[in-house]
Amino acid sequence: MKMKSLLITLSSLIAASLFAADVPPVGSAAPDFSLKDTKGQTHSLGQYKGKYVVLEWFNPECPFVKKHYGSDNMQKLQKEAADKGVVWLTIDSSAEGKEGYLDADAANKIMTQWKTKQTALLLDPDGAAGKAYGAKNTPHMVIINPDGKIVYEGAIDSKASPNPADIPNSTNYVKVGLEEAMAGKAVSNPQTKPYGCSVKYKSM
Amino acid sequence: MTVRWILSILSLSILASPLCAQMYQGRELVKAELLADTNAVVPGKPFTVGVLLRMQPHWHTYWKFSGDAGLPSEIKWELPPGWKAGEIQWPIPKKLLDPGDIQTYGYEDEVMLMQEITPPASLGDAPVKISAQASWLVCERLCIPGSANLSLTLARSTTSSPANAELFARWRKTLPQKPPNDLAVHTTRGPHELSIALKSPAIPKNASAAFYPLPDEKTVAGHPKTEWKKDELIIIVPFETNPPEELRGLVVFDNGTGWYIGSASAQIATPVSHAAVTRGLWTFLLFGFIGGFILNLMPCVLPVISLKIFGFIKHAGQDRQSIVRNGVAFVLGIFVWFVGLALLLIGLKSAGHQITWAAQFTNPYFVLLLSVIVLVFALDLFGVFEIVLPQALMHRMLHSGAREGEAGSFFQGVFATALATPCTAPFLGPALGFAFTQSPLIIMSIFLAIAAGMSAPYLALSIHPAWLRFLPKPGSWMDHVKQFMGFLLLATLLFLLYVLGAERGYEAMTWASCFLLVIALACWMKGRFITLMASRLTKSFVFLLMLALVIGGAFYFIGDKFRSAKIDIVQASGDWQMFTPDRLQTELDQDHAVFVDFTAAWCITCKFNEKSVLESASVRDAFTRHGVTKIKADWTNGDPAITKLLQQFGRPGVPLYVLYPGKSGEPFVFPELLTKNLVLEKLETITRSTIASQ
Repeated sequence: MKMKSLLITLSSLIAASLFAADVPPVGSAAPDFSLKDTKGQTHSLGQYKGKYVVLEWFNPECPFVKKHYGSDNMQKLQKEAADKGVVWLTIDSSAEGKEGYLDADAANKIMTQWKTKQTALLLDPDGAAGKAYGAKNTPHMVIINPDGKIVYEGAIDSKASPNPADIPNSTNYVKVGLEEAMAGKAVSNPQTKPYGCSVKYKSM
Repeated sequence: MTVRWILSILSLSILASPLCAQMYQGRELVKAELLADTNAVVPGKPFTVGVLLRMQPHWHTYWKFSGDAGLPSEIKWELPPGWKAGEIQWPIPKKLLDPGDIQTYGYEDEVMLMQEITPPASLGDAPVKISAQASWLVCERLCIPGSANLSLTLARSTTSSPANAELFARWRKTLPQKPPNDLAVHTTRGPHELSIALKSPAIPKNASAAFYPLPDEKTVAGHPKTEWKKDELIIIVPFETNPPEELRGLVVFDNGTGWYIGSASAQIATPVSHAAVTRGLWTFLLFGFIGGFILNLMPCVLPVISLKIFGFIKHAGQDRQSIVRNGVAFVLGIFVWFVGLALLLIGLKSAGHQITWAAQFTNPYFVLLLSVIVLVFALDLFGVFEIVLPQALMHRMLHSGAREGEAGSFFQGVFATALATPCTAPFLGPALGFAFTQSPLIIMSIFLAIAAGMSAPYLALSIHPAWLRFLPKPGSWMDHVKQFMGFLLLATLLFLLYVLGAERGYEAMTWASCFLLVIALACWMKGRFITLMASRLTKSFVFLLMLALVIGGAFYFIGDKFRSAKIDIVQASGDWQMFTPDRLQTELDQDHAVFVDFTAAWCITCKFNEKSVLESASVRDAFTRHGVTKIKADWTNGDPAITKLLQQFGRPGVPLYVLYPGKSGEPFVFPELLTKNLVLEKLETITRSTIASQ
């Protein structure tokens, strides 16, 4: 009977819907994490509820990261954000022994040398925070609104290249996203394909 | 940047030299060379040039879509006026895997990127120099951008003979082939994925295949999966953004062939499961329509049907116009009711955000609640009792429904469906579950289809009142249909109890069944004693008794017995060991190859894979032969240690199959739907490579 196939279809649909989802999509609650920064202080996302938070995946050896720090582009963005009261958390998910892994001392040195302006640089050698966000690139950028929802994730800007000369001709999605979100508008490009090096996670 | 400078200067100073090298820590990472397949340029005659990139062992450059990371290589031509360069012809790349579920597409060791160059029809006599700037990102454990200015000087001639023939022939073989003419490509588009079905006699049946997508800049594609459904190869491409209208990509078979396919104008579908994807929206709309039609045969709708049929008979003598108007108003009422329901669902959905069922199924109380609902509906269908709307509401509905005119017909339509609710509820339950995973558009479409199905006969009858004589006579067969459906619900209940048993042990399952018995008793009491005839005293007494039974039962069986039931320690069956993080670590420390099966009792795909692949004789033998330790990670109860490991693999739930080659080496993650061939092949290669590395 048709009725039976209808019921069977519907019940198999329920069964099938048991499998779904992937990385947290834009609009969903940002996964919480708790990581130590280079000064030994613990930061969790929960403690910044009520503020805009920018997450930036970082690897000092990666040419795409160097593109934005070597040109002072990232530092400028970090300063602008700080002036608006935005919390900026740089996260290094490189595992020990892999490219871009930093211990606290090495990280502090780089922060001084590169004159970085973030709120804190968090060390995530287990990759737990990186994987929770599905971060696969450095840089990978996430903007979280004061309610703890993700409003942007993806690339830092529109020009996928390691060449600093491309920066002036590209749209900086983080800058635009922050401006739009903080003006109460919807972010016009809420999700883009990030570009860069792969995050150097621990081999399981 | 200094490298590039040096390179530019080098290539400028040695004008004729087509060779350039990228240095890193004293090693030449990439040697770039520009070659042509001809020894001379003939005016107007196209020829092919190739940029040959030779990388250090294990270093790789990228395909035109680099995947999760990396950057495609680029070639910028500086050609004399009138010259044209074609698109880069990309050899079929390899899929490269990195920890953290990072997939990229690229070339290891070496690659030649070919392009067709067309010179103008008239040329001077001097030798011709063509130049290009090639830039790339080369990666191994780290990534380094590189570039080279390449140039090539060719004599101008009226005839030419081939050059570098062997090299070009070899690289041409690595290009994708033209897909067969009879290749049927059928794409369905869901809210989060595209499903592309390929069918052609030219595809070797059950050949293992991969799909490398070419998404545009606006979309973020996940990792495609492929599977065989009968004689169709199904490619599922998940998207983090909305799926695009169309998608191009490369299908690659394990024998090294590959075809570019384009999936133009994808149609919208309802992709809950892969089966659902291939079925497509139309099937669901059809089911919705049929389901709606059948609702008319439900006993609960009967009073309204007869009311309406009397109306038709009464109007039969009147003018056609007014009959049609009444019919349309009635149908409109039906639609309004279902649109309202759909809106309610959409509202609930957006309020609750993406509710995932998987997580809820690990909660035994959720499963218990579902069991109770399913049982109550089954009893309703068996006629043990009837779910009725409150008296006053019913009265008011029938009262206003009896009014004449179009407004009356409209309300009758609304009420006919409202009255049908007790019969529709068993349908709406599963529909609700389904709807939570769907986009508002699809929820609305399906409910509209149900409404259309339910109203179809009225519309037909109001246009052709003479068709009344084709109506089946109401009778006992309607009850038979209803009762049969009750049994389907009981089957669902059995499955839910099995899940409960797997989660909490047979003792808990027994207590849950006791509670269900109490619920059944209460339903019977309601049906038997709380009737229209019963005195108020009897009703109140029975009602209190029911309440006492249900609440008491809940406290005793669920609050006490069920909760404290001894959970059986799940014994690993056969030669599987139960997962603990320590056990996995110990095995890996001893440099054993380990296969981990992440599974759960409620996961049907898992059961299927286990039965058809993992427990099949050939795969079991292979595990033993290669000395692979088999570990079962049972996620039925949402074990946090397993959840953590699943997250490390970037998975929201089961199934997941991972093969660790030993202490060192990357674990291999299998696709969700296993095939014997894939498992056997991986066991073969991974154990071989461990032996080689020792």
